[in-house]
Amino acid sequence: MARSSVPTRRDARRVSRRQFLGTAAGGAAGLSGILAAGRAPAFAQARELTFLSIASFVPDTDKELKRQFEEWGAKNKVKVRLDIIAHLQLVTKKASEVQARSGHDLTALGPGLGDADLYFDHLVDLNDVAADVAPKNGGWMNPNDYLIRGKWKLLPWWMPPFPMAVRTDLLEQIGEKNPDTWEDWLRVGKKGKAIGHPFGTALGHSGDANVTLLSILWSYGGSYVAKDGRTITINSKETRVAMEFVKRLYTEAMDPEVLAWDDASNHRCLNAGKCIGIHNPISAYESAKKDKILVPGTQKEIAEVIDHINTPKGPVDRKATTGFWCVGIWNFSKNVDLAKDFLRYHFQPDNQAKWVDAGHGFNMPFLNNLTKHPVYKSDKQYRFIPEVAKVTVAPSWPGPTTAASQQVWDLYIIPDMFAQYATGKMTLDQAIAWGEKEMQEIYAGRKRKN
Amino acid sequence: MSRRGRAWRSVFTLYLPVAPFVFFALFPLYFMVVTSLKTNAELYDPTTVPFLIKRGVTFGHYQLLSNDTLFWSWFINSLLVSVGATVISVILGILAAYPLARLKFFGGDSFGVAIFITYLVPPSLLFLPLTTVVNRLGLSDSLWSLIVTYPTFLVPFCTWLLMGYFRTVPREIEECAMLDGCNRVQTLVRILLPVAVPGVICAALFAFTLSWNEFLYALVFVSPAELKTMTVGVFSELIRGDIYYWGGLMAGACIGSFPIVIAYVFFLDYYVSGLTAGAVK
Repeated sequence: MARSSVPTRRDARRVSRRQFLGTAAGGAAGLSGILAAGRAPAFAQARELTFLSIASFVPDTDKELKRQFEEWGAKNKVKVRLDIIAHLQLVTKKASEVQARSGHDLTALGPGLGDADLYFDHLVDLNDVAADVAPKNGGWMNPNDYLIRGKWKLLPWWMPPFPMAVRTDLLEQIGEKNPDTWEDWLRVGKKGKAIGHPFGTALGHSGDANVTLLSILWSYGGSYVAKDGRTITINSKETRVAMEFVKRLYTEAMDPEVLAWDDASNHRCLNAGKCIGIHNPISAYESAKKDKILVPGTQKEIAEVIDHINTPKGPVDRKATTGFWCVGIWNFSKNVDLAKDFLRYHFQPDNQAKWVDAGHGFNMPFLNNLTKHPVYKSDKQYRFIPEVAKVTVAPSWPGPTTAASQQVWDLYIIPDMFAQYATGKMTLDQAIAWGEKEMQEIYAGRKRKN
Repeated sequence: MSRRGRAWRSVFTLYLPVAPFVFFALFPLYFMVVTSLKTNAELYDPTTVPFLIKRGVTFGHYQLLSNDTLFWSWFINSLLVSVGATVISVILGILAAYPLARLKFFGGDSFGVAIFITYLVPPSLLFLPLTTVVNRLGLSDSLWSLIVTYPTFLVPFCTWLLMGYFRTVPREIEECAMLDGCNRVQTLVRILLPVAVPGVICAALFAFTLSWNEFLYALVFVSPAELKTMTVGVFSELIRGDIYYWGGLMAGACIGSFPIVIAYVFFLDYYVSGLTAGAVK
């Protein structure tokens, strides 16, 4: 049958090859234009401030931050968006936002102050905000530590101080009381291990291992970099004494499983009723209390027999470190002034007080007045947190924080050095020589890049 | 041999040899289910047997997911992204695989190898430049950023798999169709694709699974909580520093497994034939 020459509705819907090619070429040209221009098409734009933060260890902290952010947004007629990710995801997210020079306005930084050096060219100077915030809050705790290349490239935000969490019932069982020095903890750990309750601190690749081993190194008088930020000082007799101590702690007071521990493992060991003590923030206790975890074989809640005491002292000093969580503003943000304004708002004494309260004392700001917050007297468990905060220093102490010091932290050089000797894989001299070489290469490499 | 004898023979020649593999395959699923139904107090108790529930079943972890997180939004987001990326990738894969398998043209073999090499480039290298592309297209913080970028690793895979399958289909049936007046596109749509359904389903299943499990792009390209996919959302909300919500994580993993399990159960035969046909040619 001959086909009618009258166009039908079906014909009208048909797309000819030429039309298809024309449309496709137009679409491709538009896409190429967008890519070549290097920016997204402009749509109607409202003022919006975005903030990338990490999931707080105590969820109520995030709720309070969100409340403050929204309250500030309502007052200033700015749309706000708080995005929260797990802290382990932050490294990837930061890298991608810097690469694209696009993303959030405000961002959490850390752990450690090293991001300020790593992303020095991508962060806004916050000298003015730091100067405004300090007097209202009794000043920054150690302001010189937070200056990177002489500038405030970030504001130190909060830290979880590391006291010692201890099982009081087990201490009583082995006839011990209030261990205060690292040597005390070795003795307690030995006695505890003998009854099936060893001491626990990570010796593997985890933030906790960095924290505890640096604390021990400093407490025995050692350090890995000098105040000048260039000279590697790890090869010293103080380091040797500290490493001998850790070897004894590992072999006599701990189980080999600590070599494979992550940041959650010591927390599990305590709450499972195995460990007599761990060096950790109060998060383990908080979750034991929330989940009503029992002492194995009893009906007693384990939170009732956990106490927190000061971070131990060594023969030379009492020092500790922790993850320094910070906040900064990307310089590719289109809302730098708004972002600064929100930081000023969030760092107002009232707002800081509410935020610390919501965190049950877990989030300790780096501001002097906040160390006297009533929350630390609200529970016996929190009484040592301000004390620990006072002796807490940046991980590169006594050297300044740099990209190199951050790399030493991120590559777990200190835990590896201690573990290689503790496990007998290397002699003391070999382990120190290995650590020294690694650190020298990192510092030399970073110097070349800068 | 009697009926009873045959039954015993099956036990020794079929069921017993298969049993270790079944155990190996199902154990993670079993452990996930058991962990998701235990109370936290029991999870932390080292004196209990980790593979059994002794102190009663709790649905608290599922309630936590449903009530305290945006889990079901994440689930739907994952579904939308996976279905969208799969459809696009399979269509593009068919269009790329057909000429590479059937037509002879200059550089055809090199194209095939190049596609395979593209598949080998890890997403951990690609995510940084892709972030720039996604931002320039204005797609960041939308599900489109994932639907557009997932085909970067799905299309090479689908193409490679379908190339193998198309080559198993006798060329003669296409030639017959052409003698009857079909052009290339009609041959592909009316003759080859109906014959190659197992291969297409196999490619779609793989593409769906890879999209469903994808983590890195979903983390980097999408930030708002309500737009996260399940893999990123569960991880963000249920790992808080040194506190892992084990029960909730396992509950999320259990629910997240269902769509994949259902898809494979329905299409298992197609999947096996699609994979093996492509493999032996």
